[in-house]
Amino acid sequence: METINAEIFTLTYGSMVRQLIADLEDISAVNKQLDEMGYNIGIRLIDEFLAKSKTGKCGDFRETVDRVAKVGFRMFLNTTAAVTNWNAEGTECSLILEDNPLTDFVELPEGCQNLVYCNVLCGVIRGALEQVSINTECSFVRDVLRGSDVSELRLKLLSLNKEEYPFKDDD
Amino acid sequence: MIVCAAVIGQANNPLYLETFQQGSSDDALRFHYIVHCSLDAVEEKLALPRKSPGEPSDAYLGLLYPTEDYKVFGYVTNTRVKFILVVDEPVPKDEEMRMIFKRFHAAYVDAVCNPFYSVNTPLTSSSFDASVRTIIMTL
Repeated sequence: METINAEIFTLTYGSMVRQLIADLEDISAVNKQLDEMGYNIGIRLIDEFLAKSKTGKCGDFRETVDRVAKVGFRMFLNTTAAVTNWNAEGTECSLILEDNPLTDFVELPEGCQNLVYCNVLCGVIRGALEQVSINTECSFVRDVLRGSDVSELRLKLLSLNKEEYPFKDDD
Repeated sequence: MIVCAAVIGQANNPLYLETFQQGSSDDALRFHYIVHCSLDAVEEKLALPRKSPGEPSDAYLGLLYPTEDYKVFGYVTNTRVKFILVVDEPVPKDEEMRMIFKRFHAAYVDAVCNPFYSVNTPLTSSSFDASVRTIIMTL
């Protein structure tokens, strides 16, 4: 697999966020845009992920999340996320990220305290899972850039789409 | 013992200056003055022609000049950003000074990589401050 320097990746992402802030000026608009961008990445990334990792079908949501956290994060960000805090029905969980290559060297300045710097990750997960018919909602509850020691992503399962075939059976 | 660390930008503008002495706050002004004077010595060292065409100029400038109770050491990066360290007795060895400057340089590079930091603006990063303090403390 081809590799690139991680610092180039970090610096590119940082410069992109900075440009978005300069262009849009409103932090919540930047957050939304990062999520949109992540979503667009996710819907394309899922095919790459499935092809490279050769995973089969996951039995249930738990297995899916496990696969995302261990295999997915390792493949694309070279870091693993821990899955914790499952709720009673097994539809919500937390992904804990200890180190995140996107946020190396970053410090949020005064005016940007509401910025969810890694919102793109939320979009990627949402987009990727949507392509395999799992509707989810993903958001950051704890962020390293805002003082916590780890980043925590809350992943909520909304619904599972049934696979619909575009053609009728009786043709 | 290092009593003051400073980072000066390309246009000789101060970007960072911290004192590590138990003195009062007007010491900071004195150190500003000392660092400013030492910039002349830096310019002098940089203006010296290279010994031979192919040789790279050394980043570590060494002892810039001795004042009443302090010695001032300098280090310049390839981007003309200068690091100035003011030390008093006991004076660390040359090798140690080089190592300290290298670590100082690494901390500066980490601070610059922050996408929200614009070059040639004052360094307000708290992690840069923390790393500089660690470097000074481990002397």
